Amino acid sequence: MTDHRGAGGAVPRRRGQGVLETQVLAALRAAPGPVAAGWVQERLGGDLAYTTVVTILTRLHVKGAVTRERSGRSFQWTAVADEAGLAALRMRRVLDSEADREAVLTSFVSTLSPGDERLLRALLDTTEDAEEGD
Amino acid sequence: MGVFVFLPLVLPLTAWPVARLAEHHLHPRAATWLLSAVAAVLALCSTLCLGLLMVVGTAQLPGNPLPDGWSDPEVRAAVPYDEIAGRIAIPALLAVLLACTGTAWRHLRVRRRAERALSGLPGSPVAVLPDPAPYAYALPGRRDRIVVTTGMLAGLDAGERRALFAHERAHLARRHHRFLLVVQLAARANPFLRPLRTAVVYSTERWADEEAAQAVGSRRTVARAVGKSALISRGSPVPALTHFTEAAGPVPRRVAALLGPAPSPRIWPPAFTAVGLAAWGATAGTTVSALSSANATVTLFFILHAATPM
Repeated sequence: MTDHRGAGGAVPRRRGQGVLETQVLAALRAAPGPVAAGWVQERLGGDLAYTTVVTILTRLHVKGAVTRERSGRSFQWTAVADEAGLAALRMRRVLDSEADREAVLTSFVSTLSPGDERLLRALLDTTEDAEEGD
Repeated sequence: MGVFVFLPLVLPLTAWPVARLAEHHLHPRAATWLLSAVAAVLALCSTLCLGLLMVVGTAQLPGNPLPDGWSDPEVRAAVPYDEIAGRIAIPALLAVLLACTGTAWRHLRVRRRAERALSGLPGSPVAVLPDPAPYAYALPGRRDRIVVTTGMLAGLDAGERRALFAHERAHLARRHHRFLLVVQLAARANPFLRPLRTAVVYSTERWADEEAAQAVGSRRTVARAVGKSALISRGSPVPALTHFTEAAGPVPRRVAALLGPAPSPRIWPPAFTAVGLAAWGATAGTTVSALSSANATVTLFFILHAATPM
């Protein structure tokens, strides 16, 4: 059982994926050091199939939330991000892959041209001068 | 119905000067409402008109499923240049439908994916993500959320952070994503409506800036928050495609507007000023567009009704 590519994992429906990733990451964070996928599965109470755990660990690895090192024929896994870090990594993937995200999510500021930047610095200088003058 | 059937396709041009003037002279709330409503009506009329042309165009095609009477000379006489117009209307209407479906679908997909990305976090209204990339977003959904990174917060002082949160809360509380979706769909339905989309994107930002200024009690703090976050975000890997113009971009204009006097809360400008005339012009253009679409629809309905064998 070293199918770390996880192709055979019974992946639960898409809605639950995010929650499962968080659970697996939380379990791995409780580990004393690098552990095998079986340790994580046990820690989760055996609700998940071994292949599912490996699939989710692999996905977390792709996102950069866990690292792994080969030991013998399988991997030892270590968490490098916490739940908020995982959310940040996921959010970055969404933002990077959606070219017209600005059309949906209202960003606080849009991008600046070099001319905008000079103008903006001049405007901000006036606010600071005014502060000092107060 | 004569050439009037084509009017709704070009009347969106009347909205261009209005978009410019509304941006400068109306309160951002009034500008957002006015421009979104104008865009929605003009887009609906333009699409309806395409649909009518398509019916006449399709009726000429051999083997079409429409009643034979619909390709009678009387029906075709109702539309000038019926052969060309009818033939162009078919692909045009299909393109509009595809583009609008695509836009609506992408809108939902981005929202769903963003919501799923945050699914492991506790359900607080503000999600602070540990990420050096500075960004802040208002995320509408079943549970409205503000997403902000530590990289963004690190560049702002306490007052400016309050301004940022107030700005994003205003986006969510005023449901700005709905206005944006309406004008995006309108711009897909008729490309002449694109300047209205740009104008509404800007006026929703200004609206949120003004609400934030009221919430934190200082226009200057909001101006500094907007300016500083734009400067810290400038290195972020966002494709900058719109920077070939010399005119100042939206961020410096927002900061300059915040440093100036507060906009008058009056909803409708007085009639005998440039803005007033423009506002009346937009209303007139929209009304004419709506009336000529209605006229064309009713006329064609009766012609087709008369031509349908009972």
